Amino acid sequence: MNLSLSAIVMLIFGSFVLYGGLAYFLYRAFKGKKQ
Amino acid sequence: MAAVGSAIGLGNVWRFPYVCYENGGGAFLIPYFVALFTAGIPLMVLEFSVGHWARKSPPEAFKKIGKKWEWAGWWTVLIPFTVAAYYVVVMAWCFSYMVYSADLRWGLHAEQFFLKNFLGVTSNPLILGDIRIPVFLGLIAIWVCIFLILYKGVKRIGKVVALTVPIPTFLLIILTIRGLTLPGSIEGISYYLTPNFSQLLDANVWLAAYAQVFFSLGLAQGIMITYASYLKRKSDITNNAIITSLADAGTSFLAGFTVFSVVGYLSASQGISIENLGIAGPYLIFVTYPTAISLLPVAALFGVIFYIALLTFGIDSAFSMIEPIISGINGKWKITKAKATAIMCTFGFFASLIFTTGSGLYWLEILDHFIANFGIVTIGLLECLILGWGFNLHRFREHANKTSDIIIGRWWDVLIKFVIPIILVILLVASMLDNIINPYMGYPWWVILVGGMTPVVTIFLLSFILMKIKGKGVKT
Repeated sequence: MNLSLSAIVMLIFGSFVLYGGLAYFLYRAFKGKKQ
Repeated sequence: MAAVGSAIGLGNVWRFPYVCYENGGGAFLIPYFVALFTAGIPLMVLEFSVGHWARKSPPEAFKKIGKKWEWAGWWTVLIPFTVAAYYVVVMAWCFSYMVYSADLRWGLHAEQFFLKNFLGVTSNPLILGDIRIPVFLGLIAIWVCIFLILYKGVKRIGKVVALTVPIPTFLLIILTIRGLTLPGSIEGISYYLTPNFSQLLDANVWLAAYAQVFFSLGLAQGIMITYASYLKRKSDITNNAIITSLADAGTSFLAGFTVFSVVGYLSASQGISIENLGIAGPYLIFVTYPTAISLLPVAALFGVIFYIALLTFGIDSAFSMIEPIISGINGKWKITKAKATAIMCTFGFFASLIFTTGSGLYWLEILDHFIANFGIVTIGLLECLILGWGFNLHRFREHANKTSDIIIGRWWDVLIKFVIPIILVILLVASMLDNIINPYMGYPWWVILVGGMTPVVTIFLLSFILMKIKGKGVKT
């Protein structure tokens, strides 16, 4: 059995918002500390 | 880091995947993200801002806002302390199961082992039964750990969370990778993620999303106010609040893969459909997961890893539930942190004892249901009303903006003053109606009264008593 297209879309959407968002704000935090 | 550790707990591993699956699978992620961005993060910013502005415990912070509101601060710290009394018991179960994993003691009948051999569940909540010795010993171990972490204050908390946040996340990733390589795992993942968009039109799905965000982030429990009061003056409030919220939501999302890959494997190996496998609440981690572990190669190792991950996830949340009341007592009555910690841990230990008996599971489920659905939601509503309407809310916005790169606009005031209170009122009314129409789990009314309503009302009254008792000032 393979994942359906809609499940893959949800997987990418969830990962992008949560982990992409987290990485971006952690980057901002570290950049702010350096300055 | 401490706030992240506090927000991420046992609930991320067992509650999010289940709620997600119950409410349309992948489609649930859409209302979940809307809830996260319209209620979770704005409230997190508010609590961080209040704590950082007041630089005091929640009761003192509310007193600083207005003398008459001190009771609301006490209410916010009493609720998590009550939750800790049974949360620690679930951790004690995890502790025992970590030991049992070494020889897979549950054998082929995990449900029977959990309910009869391990918990010795009685036929009804009135029959207390014996104190279960393995749970009792685990309980002592966990309360001693909490005492040792908290009694020296915030510096030790910092050292502990530097280990207890990354370790379980790393273990969860290992378990997820293992889960995804098992036969049948894709069926489980498909079950978790495939969206049922028709459910987006169901109001209950949106309510479930808001409730999940609210409970999972640990809002309205005085925890974030307490931790934010320890932040440095120049700390970026908004960025910290967003990181805490996204880390919590990200862990829940990851835990969904850990759980459903194994559930898919279990379903395939036992020939039982996923719908018929128990994946709600304690059953997931003490019945379904152990059954799946038994079927794995090197089962003992993965069992031990799983329960260590749960224990390390849980310990941050557990001590963060006790820290606000200790901080409140320390602030008001000049009692040193060590003494206040000893008093509250002893209190908590004795309060936990009821949950170690044969009827403990009943009382735990009832109390959790009422505290989560009424206690926390009511405080959240009060917090929005007191801070939004009883105080100049823009002062907290300006305070957050002073320290942050991300500037919050007036939309934030609208969310705190109108949107979130309206959602919480709907949640509260819907919950009340549901409880009146369908008494919780079919329990008789007197059980619900004793186990659910009495503690909530007692906490409310106790808040006023604590406000009225004269304080002595601050001593650290």
